[in-house]
This record gives sequence, C-alpha cells and structure tokens, in this order.
Amino acid sequence: MTSLKRSLASDPYASNISSKVYVRSTKSGKVQKIVRELYLRQDIPCSSRLCSSCLETAPRDASGAQAPFILSERPAGTKAYPQGHYLVPDTNALLNALDLFEQTSAFYDVIILQTVLEELRNRSLPLYNRLIGLTKSEEKRFYVFFNDFRLETYVIRDEGESINDRNDRAVRRAVKWYSEHLTQAVKAAGGSSKKIPAIVMLSDDKENLKKAKRDGIQACSLSDYVGGLENADQLLDMISVVKEGRELRDAKAAESLYQEYFSVSKMMTGVKNGTLHQGIFNVSPYNYLEGSIRVPAFDKSLLILGRENINRAVEGDVVVVEVLPKGQWKEPSTKIIEEETINKDENADAEDGEAVVTERERRALQEEVKKVHSKSSEGRPQPTARVVGVVKRNWRQYVGHVDESSVSQSVKQGRKQQTVFLIPMDKRIPKIRVRTRQAGEILGKRVLVTIDSWDRDSRYPVGHFVRSLGELETKGAETEALLLEYDVQYRPFPKAVLDCLPVEGHDWKVPESTEDPGWRGRRDLRGLQICSIDPIGCQDIDDALHARPLPNGNFEVGVHIADVSHFVKPNNAMDAEASIRGTTVYLVDKRIDMLPMLLGTDLCSLKPYVERYAFSAIWEITPNAEIVNSEFTKSVIKSREAFSYEQAQIRVDDASQQDKLTEAMRTLLMLSKKFKQKRMDAGALSLSSPEVRVETESETSDPIDIKTKKHLDTMSLVEEFMLLANTSVAAKIYEAFPQTAMLRRHGAPPKTNFEELGNQLKVKRGLELRTSSSKELADSLDGCVDPKEPFFNTLVRIMATRCMMSAEYFCSGTQAYPEFRHYGLASEIYTHFTSPIRRYADLVAHRQLAAAIDYEPLDASVRSKGKLEAVCKNINVRHRNAQQAGRASIEYYVGQALKGRIVEEEGFVMKVFSNGFVVFVPRFGIESLIRLRDLADPEPESTFDAENYVLKTSGSREVEAELFAKVVVRISDVKEESTGKRKVKLELVKTGTKL
Amino acid sequence: MAPSATQQVLLSPAELSYLHTSLSLTPTIRPDGRTPSQFRPLIAETDILPGTNGSARICFADGTEAIVGIKAEVEKSRPSYQDQNIGGDDDDEEDEDTRRSEKEAEQKKGLNEWVEMSVEIPGFRDDDPMPVFLAAMISEALLADGEFTRRLWINRRFHWKLYLDILLLSQPLSYPLPLLSLTTHLALLSTRLPKLKSEQDEDPLFDDDWEASLFLYPRTTETTSARPPVTLLVMAVKDNIIFDPCKEELAVAEVVLAVSIGERSHGVGGVGMDIDAGKSRDLRLLAVRTIDPPSRLTPPGVPNASNTATGGTAATTEQTSTQRETLDEEGVWQPPRGGAKRKLIAAMIKKVLEQGGVAEDVLEGLEAVELG
Repeated sequence: MTSLKRSLASDPYASNISSKVYVRSTKSGKVQKIVRELYLRQDIPCSSRLCSSCLETAPRDASGAQAPFILSERPAGTKAYPQGHYLVPDTNALLNALDLFEQTSAFYDVIILQTVLEELRNRSLPLYNRLIGLTKSEEKRFYVFFNDFRLETYVIRDEGESINDRNDRAVRRAVKWYSEHLTQAVKAAGGSSKKIPAIVMLSDDKENLKKAKRDGIQACSLSDYVGGLENADQLLDMISVVKEGRELRDAKAAESLYQEYFSVSKMMTGVKNGTLHQGIFNVSPYNYLEGSIRVPAFDKSLLILGRENINRAVEGDVVVVEVLPKGQWKEPSTKIIEEETINKDENADAEDGEAVVTERERRALQEEVKKVHSKSSEGRPQPTARVVGVVKRNWRQYVGHVDESSVSQSVKQGRKQQTVFLIPMDKRIPKIRVRTRQAGEILGKRVLVTIDSWDRDSRYPVGHFVRSLGELETKGAETEALLLEYDVQYRPFPKAVLDCLPVEGHDWKVPESTEDPGWRGRRDLRGLQICSIDPIGCQDIDDALHARPLPNGNFEVGVHIADVSHFVKPNNAMDAEASIRGTTVYLVDKRIDMLPMLLGTDLCSLKPYVERYAFSAIWEITPNAEIVNSEFTKSVIKSREAFSYEQAQIRVDDASQQDKLTEAMRTLLMLSKKFKQKRMDAGALSLSSPEVRVETESETSDPIDIKTKKHLDTMSLVEEFMLLANTSVAAKIYEAFPQTAMLRRHGAPPKTNFEELGNQLKVKRGLELRTSSSKELADSLDGCVDPKEPFFNTLVRIMATRCMMSAEYFCSGTQAYPEFRHYGLASEIYTHFTSPIRRYADLVAHRQLAAAIDYEPLDASVRSKGKLEAVCKNINVRHRNAQQAGRASIEYYVGQALKGRIVEEEGFVMKVFSNGFVVFVPRFGIESLIRLRDLADPEPESTFDAENYVLKTSGSREVEAELFAKVVVRISDVKEESTGKRKVKLELVKTGTKL
Repeated sequence: MAPSATQQVLLSPAELSYLHTSLSLTPTIRPDGRTPSQFRPLIAETDILPGTNGSARICFADGTEAIVGIKAEVEKSRPSYQDQNIGGDDDDEEDEDTRRSEKEAEQKKGLNEWVEMSVEIPGFRDDDPMPVFLAAMISEALLADGEFTRRLWINRRFHWKLYLDILLLSQPLSYPLPLLSLTTHLALLSTRLPKLKSEQDEDPLFDDDWEASLFLYPRTTETTSARPPVTLLVMAVKDNIIFDPCKEELAVAEVVLAVSIGERSHGVGGVGMDIDAGKSRDLRLLAVRTIDPPSRLTPPGVPNASNTATGGTAATTEQTSTQRETLDEEGVWQPPRGGAKRKLIAAMIKKVLEQGGVAEDVLEGLEAVELG
C-alpha cells in the first residue's frame, strides 16, 4: 500500500512547503482545526542597499518594477556599534515604546519582522496602525521583512513551546540570518568587515536577551540602547514604565486595590446569557466618579458609581458590567464632583498605604446615598452596575499638563527621575501617573502622554510622556492640543496625495475647446447669471446659485456645486486621505482641510469671474414654490460675483439695484421663504445652539471681540436651496442605488430624552412639551415663550437640541425606508451633496449621482455596502470630532478674549445641582459652573429642592438659584493655583428679577 | 440477524462442499493456508487527512480498503431536567470540593446522540440495509458502555459532537465489518480535541495551539489505557472456529458472529492489578450479533440418487425439499439450516476473550500502528 499522506521526501520542493496547524474559534462558537500550507520562498529581499544578491532575485511586479531597497548602506552608528547598525525590535519593545521609534533624532534603519508585526496587531490595533504609518514614511527607513515566508528564517514551533517562545525564536533566527547574510553580501562586494552593520535585537524580555546572548546575537534592552544615545534623558521617559514598576511592586507585594477582572470566557458566557452586559463606558462630565453605560437590555443607561465599581475603566473603553441588586439602585447624582478638587495634593510617588477610595471621596459619595434614601419612595432609581472586565481598551494619547503640586520642589531643577501626576484636559480621564526625568522642564507645558497600563494595585493608571506641545496658553500648543484631543489629522498632506493633483497646478483651466474630453457630457452654463453667497472671507466656495423667469411664468432655479469628483478619483491616495479626514475642520484661527489647498481654494472653488467645472441641479419651480421638474447635470459655469451674506442682503434690500443678478436673488429669496414655510408646516424644527463668532486681529489672530452670530435672510436663502438640492439628490441616488446610496438620517429621539426637560418646563413654567412627533415638538417649542424674556425661547431650544439624537450618515441598504427620515428637517430622505470640498460624504454622493445620470460608471468602492458602511462610520466620528474641536476652539478664544477683563453679564440658570448650578451666558456662548463654595466663604448652608429645581442657600450668603432664572454674573478669568490652567470663572452678582 | 454479505460467491455446489469439508477437518485446512485464528496481513496508517480531528486508513491483503475521518464540533447540550435539584441544601459538613467533584463525575454523562456515524459503501445507497446495519453495529459497540460519550463531555452546557465518516474505498469483496471497525478504532485512537481553557460551565474557550490538543483516548506508557472497541468476525464450520474469514470461507460458514470487545483502562474496575500480570488486558465483551451467513443462499448440491444424469430419479418439487433436509451424504453440498448452538457460541466468545486469545493479538497489533 502506498501511503496517502503527502510524502515530502520524494518532492524536490519539499523544503519549501510547510504547514501551520491551529485551532480557530469562531464568533458563533464553532471550533475548527485549520491547516494552512505555507510556501516558503527564497526571493524575499533583505532590502539592504549593501546587498546585491537580493537585488537580483527580488520579485518584480507586473510592470517589471522592483520595490526600492530601503535600509541604508551607511546606517548611523552609536558608541556600542560604531560600524553602524540595523535595529530589529521584538514585539514588547514596540508595545512599550513605539513613541521612541517615531522620534526623528534616532531609530533609523529598522527591520520590522512579520512575526512581530502580526503579534503587535493582535495586541494593539492603534499601535499597529502607527507602526504601519512609520513603515510607509520613507525617511525613517523602516522595512517589513516577511521572515515567516522566507525559507531560511521560518521557524517551526517545537513541541511544548509556547507561541511567544516560538515567536521570540523566530526573531532571533531572523537576526542571525540578517547578520550572516550581510556579512556575506559585504564580503562578496569586497568590502571590509568594518563596513558590516551590526544587527541589533531590541527586547525588554530578559529571557529573550539571555537566549540571544547564548546564540551569539547582538541584543540589548531598550533602556540600555537608549542610554547610549545622545538625548538619552528625554528618550528614556518614553519607555513605558510597565515592567519596571511591576517588578518594584512585586517586591513589596502590595495588596490589590481593585477587583480582578473576570476571565474572557466567563465574560463571554455572561454576556451571551444576559447575566452580564457589554457596552461603551462613559463618564459623566460633571462627576468623575459616575460613569454610565448603555446596554440593549435596559431602557435607561446603567450607572456605575464610585471608583471601586468603575474598576479601572477609562472613558471610551468597551467594558462588561454586572448589574447590582435592586437595593443598590440609585438616581444619577445631582452633585458636582471634580477630581482635582477632591484629590488634590496627593503625592504621586507614594505607593503604599493608599486606598482605592480616599476618605474624601467616600464622604462625597455617602452624602449622595443619604439623599437617595430619603426620597427613594418616589424617586426613579436607575439601575447601577459594576465593571467586571474590559473587552477592549480604547486608550489613545491624551493631552494634559503636569500637576504642579505633585512635583517635588527639590528636583525641579535636577535630572532625577520622579513620578508626577498628569491631569488630562478631558475631565473624564483620570489622572495619569507618569515617571519622568524632565519634571522641571515640562512643568507648565501642554504635554502628550499615553496610558500604558492600570494594574490592580495602583490607584491611577500608569503612563509615559510622549512629547511636549509647548507652553500652556500659547496659541500653537493649545491648538495642537485641541487637534490631538479630537483626533483631527493635521499633518501636511503626504507626497503621494499631492501627486494626485493636476500637473498644471494653479494654471489649470477649463479647456477652451468643447471637443476636449473634459467637456464630455457637460452642459455649457457659462451664459447664466450665477453668483455665490457665503460667509465673509470664505475661500472654499462649494456652491453657487442662479434663477431666471421662464416664458410660462415659472422660474428656473439652479444650484451649482463644485465638481470635486472630477479631480478626486476614487481609490487613489488623495481619495484615501480625504476619506480618512472625512471633513474639513474649522477652528477660530485655522482651517484643517480635507483636500489639498490647490483644489479646495482654487481649482474646485467656484470663484467668481472664472470658468469652473460644476455639478448642477436645475429645477423648474412655480411661483408658489411647487417643483415642476428637476434634472441633474455636470456643467461648466462662470460665477458672476461672490457675495458675502451681508453684501447680498444689502443688495437685495436696496431697491435701486435693478440688475439681473439682484433680481435673481430676489426671486430666490421669495421662493426660499415659501420653501421654508412649507418645511415648517411639515414639522421641521428650528433648533438652536449657542453660536458666537470670535473676531480676531488679522495679523496675529489675537481675539479682539466676541459677537453672537446675526441671522440674515440671505442665510436662509442659501440654506433652503441647499436643503432642496440635498433632498432631490437623495431621492435620485436612492432610486438609482436602493442598496448603496449614501444618505443622512436623523433619528427621532426616544421620549425619555425629553422627560427631564418636559418636567422642568411643567414645574417651572406650567408649559407642556409635546414630543410625539417633530411637528408637535416644533409647535410646543413655539409655545415656550416668556413675554418678559425674549431669550427664554432660545434657551429652551438650546436645551431641547441637547436632547436630540445626532444625525448620521448611513448606507441605504442598512436601514428600512421609514428609518431614513430626517427628524429635524422633517424630510423623508436626505443626504449631503452641497459641500464636497469640505465633506467626504458629499463627494460620495457626487459619484453616485454622476453614475445615476449615466455620466460615468459607478466605482466599485461606492457600490459595496461593506465599504460604504466603513466610510459612514468613520465620517460620522470625524464629523462629530470636527464639531467639538470647533467649539472647543471658540471656547478657548473666548477665554483668551476675556483674559484680564472683568465683565458683568446676564446669564440663565440651565441646570441645578445640590451643591452648585450651571449658568449660561448668551453673550459669549459660555456656560460654567458656580459652586456653593464659590458663593461665599465659608460655604453657605444649602437646601436643594430637586422636585422644583431650586437651590436655596442660607448662612453666609442667602441666594435662591432657580432653574431658568435670569442672573447677573461677573465673568473673569482665573489661573487655578493647583493646575496652572486658565479658566473662565463666573461669579454670581445677583439672582436677577424673576422672569 | 444482520443481513449477509454483499455479493454472491459464484461457487458450484461441489466447490462449496469441498471447502466445507476441508474447513471442518481437524486441524482445519483453510483455502489460503492460515491457521484458524490467523488474520490476514493488513497495512494501516493514521492521520492521513490533515483537516480532520483524527483519521486512519487500512488495507487488507485481499484488496479491500477503508478510510475513516472524524470531525468534532462543539454543540450546546440540551438542558436536562433531572439533575436540577440534586443536593440543594445538604447541611452536612462534607468537604465542598469532594462533593462537587463527585457531583460532577455523576453528571458527566454522555448521550448517544453525540455521535453520528455514516458508512459509505460503493454501489449502495445510504439507506440500503447494508450500510445502515454496519453503522448500527459499529456504533452499538462504541456506545455500549457509555464510557465513550463521557469523553465528549465539556461541561454541563456544552459537549463535543463527533462525526464519524466511514468510507469503504474498494468493492465489498468480503463482509466489510471487521475492516471498517478496525479502521474506526485506529481513527479514534488518533483523534485529538482542542484543549479546553475555560473553567466550569462557561462558554468553552480552547487553546489555539493544535499541538496542545488532547487525545480522545489518552495513552500512557505505564499502564494500558482504555481503547476504543473493535468488532471481529468469527465463523464456525461444524465445531471449528475460524477467525477473519475470507469471502470463500464465508460462503460455507454455518454460524457467523460479529463480536465487539472493548478494553477497560486499568484501575477503573480496580481488578486485575496482579503485579506480574504485566500488560494483561482487561477485555470486555460489548456486543455479539449473529450474521446471516451467505452460505444459506447458495444452491444445494444434487445427490446422484436424484440426478437423472447419473441414473437417479428426479424427485418431484415437493419431494426435493423434504428429501434435501434429511439428506446427509458426504460430498453433496447442503446449505446450512437453523441457528447456532449455544455451546458453540459460548466457545466462540471464549476463544475471542481468553487470555492470549485473538482479541489480545488484534489489539496488540493495532497498538503497534504509529500514531501521527
């Protein structure tokens, strides 16, 4: 009988074939044995410029081109390796100190092994992505070597060997191979042995280092290696402290402060059974000891109270929680608890004798419990829960500043390593313990840190310092901090992206000859009286309009949108970059573009007096604003004028202006009012959010003044036609691609969202908020007026806006048609089409519309549901971040504008706590907290009437703070002693006349 | 009684009679010269299918060949109601741990439905009686003592489900039961299940390293450990007991038995721990099935007395049937009639199980097959 097994002995290529056998557990609980055959090769190049043999055999792509070799022929040397060296980090070296590798002062010529890369991907996706970024950048010379596919470096797992040991062995084998290979290569080229670079393995694993020594491989630990570099002190800080710290603590055998997490299988079982719940952990912005988590099993979100229950979860982590018994259910707190005030003056170095919950924290929480007990009879307690495990950490880099009080005076100058606390800018993130040698230097600066770990025996997470952004309160540092904090991509566009721009640059023009391929399928609309209306100083003009009467008494109205999709072709580098950026971010003094400047502000921008490509939507509309028909076409236009809203308003109002352009604008204005009325009748909401504009000095962009935005008719003119264009396009692309149309929806908010506000209005004003439909809501919001206080209506609208869901992009195949509804606009279907220069969603809609009118075939990337979903997910996040960054920027500038000034201003009470209240100042669009202890010294006694939303104080100062009440506050700025942070501070001058 | 073999052997009554006579001699003379308890040589290998949890292949010298592949899948157990309130509130100060482990052992019961077997034989539909009976006989032996399904228990909520795919590659030249059973035996020996990492009643989580996986029948070098059952085919002609019959021998068999034997691991029963016994086996009889011998369907010989060609007188049809049953003439083939005698069956079983008997030989031979 001949064996049926694949006999390797008889096969001449046997050594090239190996197989990998492993067990795969699928999500559905299946367990499969997987056998993979590996075909090992010998033509994977070492990519060193010293080597000529690899150059000959390295594979070429279809066009015969070879990937250029990356590793330098003369790599930098150090004291230990004067002949120059290539680095080969192992996985834990990268995990502990990826920040080091991103340095520009050292860490060049690095070989990343496939083994290491794959292991890193399994351990930490964000780090993996950063590393991939590094390997893409040409100047750092990082090379990914596929050692598991190269015959000489492939390692078969031994019996009883753990996978980690196997991987370590693979790393050592690759290092060994590299050094032998390069020795050979240099000798073959006739070079002296001094020219052979050392191959240095970097590892933090003692065992691995020991074995490397045994095998005769050059290896060294990260700290030893960095110690030999020039700016060692600064670099040493970037090594994660995890290991060191742990050893230290092991010695002390400190007791654990937190409960251990459940095992993964236990959590999975629990979640599946419904005994445990999984969700994203959120921390209340007012109380750092209160977290909440939304799980599908409960209508209301679960509360997680206190440090012990939060159990090392950090904002944004995906956690598994266990619901506590009903007896422990509570109401969300009505008290403000801030970490910096309760736990200040802690010593960061003190390790022993710390309890999880400090005495002060305990007291703060206890008071709350008491209160809950007293009124539990009628209260609506919310279920509480305890974190039992973290499924996925969503730690990122955090911006913050060093807590001055945690730095010991004696070492401020010195270079001694010490532990300091870093207070993140985001209040929801706990203090981070950081070991640094540069405490003195980074004091008073905005710094970037990452969290490395949070062990059971440490009260605070441990992290390491990444880099300093600059002095606190300098524009550069604060802006960069904002961008980092909101994850905005602000690096300049890489070369690959710029390569996608038209070669003519700014000289690009619409081709003169209409025979040119660029004119194919385009309509010549250069003869129309088109103009654009935008805010002052707008450079990226997305849209332009025209209107003209038709012989039958109707009007022809056109909306012309910049034809970005002509310049940004799907799937090139520029498209990829734009889809990652998702949106342009507007800060007060800065704009971070989604597309390179050349396109955004010139070639795509519908500038006046020049011919531009456009995508036009043209309707025939009756004088009663009924749409007779609509059509979409690619076109070439020539805008006659670019107006600002103000200019346009003046021109429309000026009766002496009788030219065609002004007439057209009047027509548009007339129609837009009718459209708006129709929309309102259908139940569209007019919501409000505090909007202010910071006027800056043009040269230095220092803030001069703050103005609330004024509303002009011309603004709603533009808005109405953009809405019209968006809605028509949405219907068109949905008709053409019912499964993959890129749309935007705004879900109806759940009733419970309005419960609180409705109750507040009822108690305080006797007003009723009906929320059964958007029409009802719009009507009842209209009814919320106080004849004596015109701002009251706006205030209610601002608060109502906060109860809404946020609108989101989605792919039409993922929702049922009734779910497409845009609640706020009361439109059945909606998309974004009108701002392709600054929003990626619009670009996708453009491509889809172009395909829908048979202008061009639909690209695969906008046809695949899966890809579109991923795009939607990303741009939804980016969109939100961009908004928040914009707001934060305004907030910062408002603070700066007020610096050194003291202003008295009217404000309104927006929220009442048992120990303070929030005041909103419309003039500056700021809201801030006034605590009881700010009112007077000593802190006045207080009684809090939660049912009536009234906080009464007595004793040292008698004040009655009531919800919606008008107050006068003194606005000043203070620099907090402990934190070195400048803040807008509100002081209560008087509780104003009751409304 | 299980249906008999597959194809009719095309032998004339004279040839059958000759075979029968030579087999009933003492000592027996078999057509291929084997001793009565000698097996035909076979070639075996395991782990031939990399994608399965365990697999084996056996070739008999007569050209019959079988492959068995075993796949395992995690399955949710049906909730059982019987063990919900066992020992709810025992006030005894009994040791918690021992009680729990006792309880666990008690609950660690398997169900027969955790094993699914399919037998495929070329030329047969899967609902033909032949494959169905073969599958039934093999699984009967496997499930007889409940020990096997217990090995598939993961925890109270989950178990392994085993799919045994038994495939005869060649034509069924002789009765394929022993071949299939031996191949299944080897495949089960080589079967490995991923190692469990989770504890107690959690959703099972397994080690992703295949090398770490555990044998379904763990082997230790010191003691003989439990082995999957084998089913042997034993036949008798007169009082001669013959093992591993070839198809010609089956054509004249008077009694055919399928005897399934299993082996208990030492220590479980607590018996047979003689020091000098060394590797003596603790064999157990799991099942015995009689098989309808194909000889019954062979055409009877015609004695000279009733053959007109030789000068006899042909009997009428009614007469033939009565005459035939009473006839006892040497050299004239008579298909066997009636069942086996109890004494004979007992002797056959004894021959299988006795120390140094056939079963031990077979198991020893199979043990020598290298795993992996």
